[in-house]
Amino acid sequence: MSKKKFNTIYIMIVTVPFLLLIFPLFELANRATPIIMGLPFSFFYIILLILLTFLGVLILYRFDPDHKLEEGDE
Amino acid sequence: MEHWLIALIIMIGYLVIALVVGVWAGKGQDSSSLDEFAVAGGKLGLIVMWFLMGGAVFSAFSFLGAPGWAYEKGAPAFYIIIYTAFAILPWYIIGPKISKIGKKFNLYTLSSFFRIRYRSKTLGIIVGLLALLASIQYLATQLTGMAHIFNIMTEGRIPFWLGALLAYGIVVVYVATGGLRAAAWSDVFQGLLMIIISWVVGIAIVNQLHDSVGVMFTNIATENPGFLQIGKEGSTMGTIPFTTTILVSVIGFLMWPHLFTKSYASSPKVIKKTVLVYPIFALFLIPLLLVGFAAKGIVDANLIDSADQILPFLITTVMNLPGWVYGLVGAGALAAAMSSADAITHNATLETTDGVIRTIFKDLSDKTVLKIMRIGVFVIGGLAYIITIFGGQGLIVLLLGAYGAIVQFAPGVYSALYWRGATAKGVISGLVVGAILNFYFQLVADSTPFGIHAGIIGLIVNVIIMIIVSLLTKSERSEEEDTYIRS
Repeated sequence: MSKKKFNTIYIMIVTVPFLLLIFPLFELANRATPIIMGLPFSFFYIILLILLTFLGVLILYRFDPDHKLEEGDE
Repeated sequence: MEHWLIALIIMIGYLVIALVVGVWAGKGQDSSSLDEFAVAGGKLGLIVMWFLMGGAVFSAFSFLGAPGWAYEKGAPAFYIIIYTAFAILPWYIIGPKISKIGKKFNLYTLSSFFRIRYRSKTLGIIVGLLALLASIQYLATQLTGMAHIFNIMTEGRIPFWLGALLAYGIVVVYVATGGLRAAAWSDVFQGLLMIIISWVVGIAIVNQLHDSVGVMFTNIATENPGFLQIGKEGSTMGTIPFTTTILVSVIGFLMWPHLFTKSYASSPKVIKKTVLVYPIFALFLIPLLLVGFAAKGIVDANLIDSADQILPFLITTVMNLPGWVYGLVGAGALAAAMSSADAITHNATLETTDGVIRTIFKDLSDKTVLKIMRIGVFVIGGLAYIITIFGGQGLIVLLLGAYGAIVQFAPGVYSALYWRGATAKGVISGLVVGAILNFYFQLVADSTPFGIHAGIIGLIVNVIIMIIVSLLTKSERSEEEDTYIRS
């Protein structure tokens, strides 16, 4: 994967959930009920989206084209 | 033994350990090296870096302010988690770039990042001074937090001036001796402590007051559903203020000058891995929000001076908790405030010495600069302390203005990395107008159009002015420009 392509995918993966967490799209989840896992729906939705975003970023990290260049660079 | 005495002993014990860890971390490193003091030789590892970043986010605000928001405002408090999780994400792309640029030009500060790219001393000095003022404001908030914690947990026996002096004095000592490395290792210790304490105490409080988290939220949702929503009847915040507050926090987070120092201090790989594990810090804030919700309907708002005191108030007054819990929460809150204060103190010193003093007096040797930096830590620390304890209203307003101006660095930073056409004149005019508008809407005007956050209004005008002025004042292509964009 080229660096440019990687950056584009990265930006999409983080922008889409972010837009879902601000208005106008957050209206979808702007509700107190149902209570899920003890949390109001909006709270649950926020935590779920944060977890999904980072799962996405974690997976994407494995395809980062810079890896080969930076071996042992720690 | 009385509760306050046990609390005092635990907090003092914590302070002693913090001092030992801080001073120990700086030991064995080259104490005559400017590079070591400023950016830990550019070689901070992952775990240290992670906590250094976490420490910056977990401040007195998260420990006292987050429960306060949840208690007072309800759902709008979710903004804290959203911005903490998302604000770090652009760093994955710009952090490695900034790190490479920093190593190429041997940078320590945000101020020199601007000065080199735009070849403008004026811009460097403006940024350095704004950074200094904003940092002092930030430090004053942390110091106030430390002083309150000491005061409340010892039931008023440690006066305001002494609590702040004790906790912050320790920070100043270890930062002056060990530089960035000392700040980083103290943050590992302080970070672990506050994470454990916030979860244990947070869950314990909810369970004691409400049986379970589910029962608590079911009650709130039945009695006052608007409290758990944004922009509805019974809500405390509208949709536009909520959204623009998140936006301004997300953009502003990465513009804090200490993040630039941290970028120079580590490799691109460490930066990327830091971003990957970072959301865990956002999730650590959850129990602190739960504490705030738990107090809703139980604590009468008239009983406390401000919502920020809700967590200490619950522990000392509402619930009959043993003294060691006082002490632990005190230590956790101190850790939160101190781990933010150390990095900011360190960075404010760099910005002033490397960014301002070194730009004005050019022929200073590294050795002299290092000496000035060590003394600078005490001077800036002292200033922050004096302003916290004796600060007048006018001064505080000025500092708040600088604090709000931080986000206005964004157009200049992103242009430096991605837009060849930006010029010094463009960036300066945008920055100045943006900062003034922000100042006006935040502190002078009673309200903003549509409730848009003052920082966003400033930012929109800032970008427009920067682009127009830059296009009118085209400059020749420079080598620095190329390096910044290609890195």
